[in-house]
Amino acid sequence: MSLFSSLSVSASGMAAQRTRAALLVENIANSETTRTPEGGPYRRKDAIFSTTQVGSEFASELDSQMQTGVQVSAISVDQREPEKQYAPGHPDADANGYVHISRVNPAEDMVDLVGANRSYQANVAAMSAVKDMIQKSIDLLR
Amino acid sequence: MDGISTSLERYMDLVSMRQKLVSSNIANADTPGYKTQDLDFQASFQSMLDGGSARPIEVQGLETKNDGNNVDLDREARLLAENALRFNIASNLVKSQIQKIRSAIKEGAA
Repeated sequence: MSLFSSLSVSASGMAAQRTRAALLVENIANSETTRTPEGGPYRRKDAIFSTTQVGSEFASELDSQMQTGVQVSAISVDQREPEKQYAPGHPDADANGYVHISRVNPAEDMVDLVGANRSYQANVAAMSAVKDMIQKSIDLLR
Repeated sequence: MDGISTSLERYMDLVSMRQKLVSSNIANADTPGYKTQDLDFQASFQSMLDGGSARPIEVQGLETKNDGNNVDLDREARLLAENALRFNIASNLVKSQIQKIRSAIKEGAA
């Protein structure tokens, strides 16, 4: 059934946008974090999308028609030098009294978050349209 | 089933195929380098009526963003609504065909 694989495509889009939103929220939450397990201040993360072939669970080998969905293929980590802020009293300050803080720009992340939200909604709209089409096909049997 | 029902079946197949491409376009709205996919509706329908299959094409004339992606969400939203309506019309027509056959069977029995 071809319509069911459209649901998988929209689901892959929703999952990818949700992952992206999670990373953006993490960035905002950690914009002032100076300690991380890797050492140094927090570094901004972002999702890299790529196309992927998705099929319905029931598609099996018989239905070789695969659909182009989306996946998070990598998570990019900001490699720029951290910003320095003069705060001699801070426990993480270096010998010269500077604290290394992340280069997260909350405004940038908020804008991206709005974009992720909009894309998620578009996928939901596509999914509900396909759902209605499947329902119409089922109604033919009544 | 007669010719009309067969054509309607092909039509619904084609609309659902197009719906899949629209879903893919929307899912990949933020994928770098992705190009909008669509069907040449009339040509595909003609070829399907003749027993062929539909071939997806890359849509030309859309504005390409800096990351090489050219998905226009407004265009996809329009196609989403259009496909839903087309499918609705076709399914209602199929329903009326089935009802005709059913009434022929029932009236015969009475």
